[in-house]
Amino acid sequence: MNDETAVGNGIILDIQKVTKEFPGVTALKDVSIQIRRGEIHGICGENGAGKSTLVKILAGVYPWGDYEGTVIYEGQELKLERSAIRQATEEGIAIVYQELTLVPSMTVGENIFLGKEPVEGPGINWDKLYADTQQVLKKYNLDIQSQAVVGSLGVGKMQMTEIAKALSEDAKVLILDEPTSALADDEIEGLKEILRTLKSHGVTCIYITHKLEEFFGITDTITVLRDGKVVTTQPSEDLSVEKLVGYMVGREMTERFPKGNRKPGEVILEVEGIRAQDPEEAGREVVKGVSFNLRQGEILGIAGLMGSGRTELVMTIFGEYGKITEGTMRLEGREVRPKSSREAMLDGISLVPEDRKRHGLVLMQSVLKNISLPNLDQFASWFRIDNLAELNASLKFAKSLDIRAPSLHVPCDSLSGGNQQKVVISKWLMSKPKVLIMDDPTRGIDVGTKYEIYKLMNDLAEQGIAIIMISSELEEVLGMSDRVVVMHEGASAGTLDIADANEEKIMALATGVANGNDSGNAVGSIA
Amino acid sequence: MNTDSKGSIKNVISSLARQFRANMQTYAITLALIGIWAFFTLMRPNYIAPRNFSNLFRQMAITSFLAAGMVLVIVTGNIDLSVGKLAGFVSVVVAKLQDDVWTQILPDQPILTTTISVLAGLATGALIGVLQGYIIAYWRIPSFIVTLAAMWMLDGAILLVTEGKTIAADQPALAVIAQAYLPDYVGWIIAALVVALLFFRMFSGRRKKRRYGFDLAPVYLDLLKTVLFAGLVVGYILMVNEYNGIQVLVLLLAIAVVVMTYVSNNTRFGRYAYAIGGNREAARLSGVNTGKNIFGVFVLMGFLCGVAGVAMASYVGYGTIAAGAGYELDAIASCIVGGTSTLGGVGTIFGAITGSLIITSLGTGLQILNVQAAWQKLVKGIVLILAVLVDVSFKKRR
Repeated sequence: MNDETAVGNGIILDIQKVTKEFPGVTALKDVSIQIRRGEIHGICGENGAGKSTLVKILAGVYPWGDYEGTVIYEGQELKLERSAIRQATEEGIAIVYQELTLVPSMTVGENIFLGKEPVEGPGINWDKLYADTQQVLKKYNLDIQSQAVVGSLGVGKMQMTEIAKALSEDAKVLILDEPTSALADDEIEGLKEILRTLKSHGVTCIYITHKLEEFFGITDTITVLRDGKVVTTQPSEDLSVEKLVGYMVGREMTERFPKGNRKPGEVILEVEGIRAQDPEEAGREVVKGVSFNLRQGEILGIAGLMGSGRTELVMTIFGEYGKITEGTMRLEGREVRPKSSREAMLDGISLVPEDRKRHGLVLMQSVLKNISLPNLDQFASWFRIDNLAELNASLKFAKSLDIRAPSLHVPCDSLSGGNQQKVVISKWLMSKPKVLIMDDPTRGIDVGTKYEIYKLMNDLAEQGIAIIMISSELEEVLGMSDRVVVMHEGASAGTLDIADANEEKIMALATGVANGNDSGNAVGSIA
Repeated sequence: MNTDSKGSIKNVISSLARQFRANMQTYAITLALIGIWAFFTLMRPNYIAPRNFSNLFRQMAITSFLAAGMVLVIVTGNIDLSVGKLAGFVSVVVAKLQDDVWTQILPDQPILTTTISVLAGLATGALIGVLQGYIIAYWRIPSFIVTLAAMWMLDGAILLVTEGKTIAADQPALAVIAQAYLPDYVGWIIAALVVALLFFRMFSGRRKKRRYGFDLAPVYLDLLKTVLFAGLVVGYILMVNEYNGIQVLVLLLAIAVVVMTYVSNNTRFGRYAYAIGGNREAARLSGVNTGKNIFGVFVLMGFLCGVAGVAMASYVGYGTIAAGAGYELDAIASCIVGGTSTLGGVGTIFGAITGSLIITSLGTGLQILNVQAAWQKLVKGIVLILAVLVDVSFKKRR
C-alpha cells in the first residue's frame, strides 16, 4: 500500500493529503484516495462534503498550487496550470458534469468534436468528423445517431453524447459528477451498461452520485467524504445503502422517510378531466384528461415516466402552461382557472419548480431578494418597500427552514443545492399557499437535506397545506405520499391509495400495462 | 444570525469586510474618478478650479439623464439605441414650439409658453417611450431592433420638424433650465436640507432596526458614513459657490438620480426589473408581470429622454438636425463603465452617473491638455475596454 511507485501497484490516480481552503471554509482536509486502474470508484458525501471541490482539482479549475498536497497521476505529479481548461482532458482525465454542457442546436458529431474539429485546408472535414464520431459511438456501444440534433434527443441520450464527448480523446480516467440526477430509472440502467463497457475497455471511472443505490452492482470501491475528510474507502461488497448513509451523516439513519402524523381533511382541490395544449406548438395536446382530488393536509404523489406530462400538468394548474381546453378545476368549491403564476398565487396555489436554477431562483441575487420576490406585495405600498419588514419576515423563514448561509445577503449561487431548494420553498411558503405543488423537490439534493425536506413537507401537511409532489423516484413517492396519481401519456391512468400501492402497480399503470379503470387496485375517487 | 456577541469588534470588521467586498466595484470606479482628477490636476492645476469643476458637472448632465434611465433598460436585459435621437427630437420640438408656434398663438407670455413647451417636450418623450415599450414588451420584438428602427425614424422626424434649418431656442425663460445658477444662499439652504435629511435617515433607520431587533452597526461607523456624505455635499456647494453657485441643471440631475436610485432599490418596480434581468423565467414564475415591467422601464426611459431633450434645447439655445447624435452610445458607455452588466440583472444608477462623470472628466481633461480630437477618441475607447476588463477580473476573483 505504501509503495511510492504507484504505477506498478495498479494505482492510476493517487490523491495524497490534499487540502483546499476557501476564505472561512476548509473544503477538503488531508484527503487521500487511491484509484486503481480500471476500477469504477464511487464517491459520495453530503452537499458541502467536498466532492465538487475534488472534481474541480482534478479538472484544473483549481490549478496546481491552489491546493496543498499532491495528486499523482500515472506515476507523475499532476500539475495543471491556471486557465488551461483543456489540459486535464489532454492528460486523459475527462469529466462529465452534472449539468449538460452541450449545444442543443448542433448535431451529436458537432458537439463531440466541438473545439477540436478535424480540418482539411481552411475548412472542417465533415466526413472525417462524422466517421470519427461513428467510431467512438461504436467502440463504446453508444446507441445514438451521429447526425442527430442534440436538442431533439432525450436527456438519457444527451448524457450519452456527453460521455462520448469526454471519451473522444482517449480518456484514461472518466469522472462522472452526478450523471443521473436528470435520468429516469431505465436510462440509469443504460448508463450502467455503458460504464461496464468502458470498464472492459480499461477506462477508469470515478462515479459521484447522491443516489446511493446506484453504486451497488456497478462500483468496485466506494469512498465516503464528510466535511471535507475521507471517512472511509471500502470495497462495495462490504457496504450497503444504510451503512453509506450512516458514514455520510455520521450517525445511524434509521429511516429514509420520516413518519408524519398527517390527517388529511376536506377536499380542497378538484381537478376534472383537464386537457391542455403545448403553448409552443398549437394543436399538440400534452395534458390529455387528468382528474384527481386533493385534500387538505395531504401529500398527493404524482408518478409517471419522463414525458408522461407530469410537469406540464402541474404547470397547467399553476397557470403557466398552455390554455386549458377542456375540464374544470375547483378550489374550495369555487371554479378557478389561473392564467398566470400571479393569478394562481392569489388563488392560493404555489409551485416549487422542477429546475430550481432555471425556474426557481434568480441565482445572482441574494437569498433575501429571492425569498421576497413573489411576496413583495406584503411589504410594499405603490411607492416603497419596507426593507426591514421584508428582512424580518424572510429571516423567520430562513430560520425555520434552517437555510445555511453566512447571511441573507449572499447570492443564491453560492449556496449548496439543498439550501437553494430551501430558499425556493421559503419563497413559496411566504405566499401562504393552500395548495403547494412541488415538482421533484429533492432532485440533486443530498440524503441529509432530503430528510429535512421530507420532514418539512410533513410539517406543512400537518399545518393543513395540501401538497402535490411529483417525483421520479418511486421510493420517494411510496415513502411520502398518502395517495398516488399515476400518469401515462398525458392522462391520469389511475389513483392508488398508499396502502395498496407498490412499485409494480405504479409501473404497470405508468407504462400502460394496467388500466386504472379495470385493475381493481386503483381507487378512482376517494371515499 | 444576529444573536451572538452584538457589536463586538470582530463582527464589525467582518461585516465591514463583507460590505467592502460587495461594494468593491463602487470603490473601484470612485477611485478611478479620483485618479483621473488627480492626474489632470497634476498636469494643469486649474483643472480642479471652481470654474472648471462647475462646468464639468454641467457637461455631464445631459448624457447622465439618459444613462440614469439606460441602467434599468440594460438591467432588464434590453438596450435602447434611440435615446440620443429621441432627446434630439424632443429638443427640436421644444425649439419649434418656442420659436414658431407660441410667437403666433400666445405672444408675450414667456413663462406660460415655456412651461407648456417643457411639458410638451416631456410628454413627447414619454409617449414615444410608451410606443417603443409596448412593441418591445407585448409584441416581443427585440429591443435592439425596435430602438434601432426608432432611431432612424426619429432622425427623419427631426428633419421633418426642422425642415433642415436651425431653430432658435434662446428665450430667457427656457435658458434658465440649463444655463442659470442659483444664488449662494440657496445653495446653502439646499446643503443644510440634505445634511439634515442624511442625519434624520440615519437615526430613524437605526430606530427601526432596533424595533425589529436587528444588529446595529456601532453608532460611530454610521456617524462616520453620514458625516462623510454630508462633507461631500458641503464640499461641492463650497466649490461651486466659489464660481457662480449651483446650476439649476445639476440640481435637476441630482433630483433625477436620487429618484431613480430610490425607484431601483426601494420599489417593486425596481426590484422586479433586476429580477427579470437576473432570470426572466424565474421572475415570471414568481408572479412578476414581466411585460408590464419592461413596458414601464421604457416609458421611464422615454420620459428621461424628454428631460434630456428639454435640457438640450435650453443648453445649446437652438434645435438642429444634429441634436443628440451619438448620445445613446455615450449613455450606454457610462452604464458599462459604471459596472452595469450587459447580460442584465446588475447595475446601479450611482455607478452609471460616476461612469458618465469619468467619461466627461477625461474628455475635458484631454481638451485642457490640448490633445487632438483623434487621440481623445482613442483614449475614450481604451477606457471603455479597460473598465470592462477590471469589472471582469473582479467577478472572477469573487
